Amino acid sequence: MIEYVAYALAVFVVLTAVATALLRDVLAAIVLFGAYSLGMALLYTLLLAPDVGLTEAVIGAGVTTLLLLLTIARTVRPSGDRTAERVDPRALFACGALAVVFGLTLPGLPAVGDPNAPIVSYEAVTGYYLSNSYADTGVENTVTAVLAAYRGFDTFGEATVVFGAGVATLVVLRREVLT
Amino acid sequence: MIELLATRWAYAVFVFVMATGLYVMIGSPNLVKKVIGLNLFQSAVFLFFVASAYVAGGSPAIVPSEGGGGPYVSPLPHVIVLTAIVVGVSLTAVALALIVRIHREYGTLDESVLREVTDE
Repeated sequence: MIEYVAYALAVFVVLTAVATALLRDVLAAIVLFGAYSLGMALLYTLLLAPDVGLTEAVIGAGVTTLLLLLTIARTVRPSGDRTAERVDPRALFACGALAVVFGLTLPGLPAVGDPNAPIVSYEAVTGYYLSNSYADTGVENTVTAVLAAYRGFDTFGEATVVFGAGVATLVVLRREVLT
Repeated sequence: MIELLATRWAYAVFVFVMATGLYVMIGSPNLVKKVIGLNLFQSAVFLFFVASAYVAGGSPAIVPSEGGGGPYVSPLPHVIVLTAIVVGVSLTAVALALIVRIHREYGTLDESVLREVTDE
């Protein structure tokens, strides 16, 4: 049963991604991109990553969509009567070639959900964090334990990136912020 | 072929959406659309990570304090994806700020028009 929900979401995500690519009106593309992000968030949750699903719903579907809408409110929407974007054959060829190359690696990957896949079954790494994170950090959620304790410096670096991005945005838009 | 898609569907979605995002980045003349393409590309890669951590019939990586339970999904790809989502939105914010600035200076967001204007 749950597979069919996942397949339906996968089809939804693919369709909204294609529609986002094809629509020429940027506002319509942004709205579809929001729907795409929400579908992706549900898909992450179905794949048992609730933390990632929540973050994607808030940041991907929420903040990113808001930023894009603010941008087109301050700039322009392309005018004209064509609804679809003109297809660029060279770009299509390049991306198709990339998709074929990546697609050829699919048989080499473990099946989705395979309990013997190395990333899940390797005891020295995944197993260590799952069995020791409560004793080491006192946090039941292993994702939080790794994010805030084991890899705390990474998260600090991430906060530095966000701070740098905030400063850069203010510098680029300085006239508007100060007046 | 059908069997491959049924067992590796998430990776197939990753490949397709990633190529779509790259196409939008290269093929669309509008700068805002290019940023949307970047975000499509990013979330496809996140799907690859999350799918690689998934165990059928498992539970989220929340281990009770007395231990036991399981099987659990691998928490490590989730952590790197959480970091990448936040870095991605920072990137988007800076890119969009630059786009607003470009529009203020040149009055257009069309790549080919911008190229003509800046060549003069």
